[in-house]
Amino acid sequence: MARARRNFSITALPGFASIAVLTFVLLYVPIATLVVFSFNEAASMSRWQGFSLQWYQAAFDNSQVREVSIRALWLAVTASAIATFAATLAALATTRTPKFPGQTMIYALVNQPLMVPEVVTGTALLIFFAGIKMQTGYTGMGYLVAAHSAFCIPFAYLPIRARLQTMDLTLERAAADLYANHFQTFRYVTLPLLLPGVLAGFMLGFVISLDTVVITEFVKSAGQDTLATYMLGQIRRTVTPEMNAIATLFLLLSAVVVVLFFILSRKRP
Amino acid sequence: MADTTGRAASATNEIEIKRLSKVFWQGDAAFRALDEVTIGIRSGEFFTLLGPSGCGKTTLLRLIAGFEQPSAGEVIINGRQVAGLGPNARPVNTVFQNYALFPHMTVADNIGFGLRMLGKSAAVVRETTGRMLELVRMEAMAARKPSEISGGQQQRVALARALAPQPRVLLLDEPLSALDLKLRKEMQSELKRLQTETGITFVFVTHDQHEALTMSDRIAVMSGGRILQSGSPADIYNHPAERFVADFIGDTNFLDVEIVAVNGRAADVRLPGGGTRRASLPEGLSPSAGTNVTIVIRPEHASITDEAADFEGTVEDAVFFGTDTHVHLRLPGESRFTLRRQNTGAGAVALPEGSRVGVRVAEGGIQVLRN
Repeated sequence: MARARRNFSITALPGFASIAVLTFVLLYVPIATLVVFSFNEAASMSRWQGFSLQWYQAAFDNSQVREVSIRALWLAVTASAIATFAATLAALATTRTPKFPGQTMIYALVNQPLMVPEVVTGTALLIFFAGIKMQTGYTGMGYLVAAHSAFCIPFAYLPIRARLQTMDLTLERAAADLYANHFQTFRYVTLPLLLPGVLAGFMLGFVISLDTVVITEFVKSAGQDTLATYMLGQIRRTVTPEMNAIATLFLLLSAVVVVLFFILSRKRP
Repeated sequence: MADTTGRAASATNEIEIKRLSKVFWQGDAAFRALDEVTIGIRSGEFFTLLGPSGCGKTTLLRLIAGFEQPSAGEVIINGRQVAGLGPNARPVNTVFQNYALFPHMTVADNIGFGLRMLGKSAAVVRETTGRMLELVRMEAMAARKPSEISGGQQQRVALARALAPQPRVLLLDEPLSALDLKLRKEMQSELKRLQTETGITFVFVTHDQHEALTMSDRIAVMSGGRILQSGSPADIYNHPAERFVADFIGDTNFLDVEIVAVNGRAADVRLPGGGTRRASLPEGLSPSAGTNVTIVIRPEHASITDEAADFEGTVEDAVFFGTDTHVHLRLPGESRFTLRRQNTGAGAVALPEGSRVGVRVAEGGIQVLRN
């Protein structure tokens, strides 16, 4: 009995292989279909008529697509940069100070966007920002930047905190022992060692911002569509392979960022 | 000896520790890691803090380095109160147990780190780093990362890094514990050589009695957050004042005996055989005649003899160790006694189990304990 338990392996369960195959099919066949039909010559989503790059051409020629793409990228870079900065400070405060009252509370607050449904956050932001808009009359990108930054903080926080927790504290002690002040210790020892975690946090935040539809939909003012909300709007009307082409490029970008994230977070000093 | 001469005392003492305490709190439970420790560490000496894990030796080292702040008491380095100063403001450097080399810097950059933080010019950093690399014989490894050199080499780099800023005191926290036996022996003489060459005061923490005995000018034996005894290795070994010290360092025989007469720093004690012998008294103990005390006799201070025996014992067994043989005896009153015979020739007399032998303790080989 004990022996059997020790050798227990989930791969030995009946049906393991078929369930695994089914899962991968469900996950990747739709994506593969999307990619394949982005190269279709016809406007059909079901009939293959030959290879063509015309839908990519169409997407590039579409000034609206260019505009929302640039806006989405700008927003993702800005928001994840702000989120990474805030997350780094939060991670330092929760790992590099003696335990203080309310530390668990802060941890929960930082991770709030992970636990609260996006529609709730979206609605709350909508109401909150509406008040500010009425008072100030400002209708710029600031609201989206603020909303995305807040939403990205926990995603940036997690890899940074993980990195700090595995880092040997005696290294910072050694720096202090060798006459480095707090700032020098951070600048020359903590930060270089933390950098892979910071970059990983930034990339995760970047992908999340690029991807988020619900919050953007609630917060955006007129003419502030991002790529994600633009695509949603287009698909509601007509579905053309142009959307497939955009989605494929989107997928490629996400894949590159995610691969980079894994490489960076796996690297150990 | 009075504390009022603190200024004069620190002229010869590099470090003055005065009634230093450190209490750690875990919830409502207090753990007294260091309990009113007072000790002076002389300039230029190799001073060892020796004790089992949890005895407070590392805590004391950290308080000197500035990684922890004391709960009470004073630390004076080079005549200056260092209370409240961080580690970066103290003229001491540390060699850490796990070396703590910066993994993202080369060996040379690791060694030069302290000097750069002190704002030395690039030329000074380069020149000193070169000299340090030479001192620890690591010139060929200057451009390597710490992960690309062996444990023994990392140890040398850690030493060079701590010595480069020319601290007044070098603190070493069990620096040899991660090395294998052969390398440890090598590094022991290396450390001793570095200390002699640089003339820097070394404060060395270890739980290894052999390391302490072979390397130190003076040793402080610690237990339960207190220093039980300090003195030269020979002093500590030959004249342990407390049971813990005698037990922790070397092999020891403990015997309960009666004081017959007290004579200044010495006392006559009645041995198990009935005869009396002269024994040394520990500092601060003047028992009156008739009281019972514990004495220690080192196994190599006793020998088997046919005449003028102090007491007799029955051989339980004799274990051959190559250079010497350990003979285990049972004494009257069921106490046990071990003595060590050097195997000087092939003609050593066999000691069959159960045979009765006489034991003679060498002159000055009996020490009375305080407890």
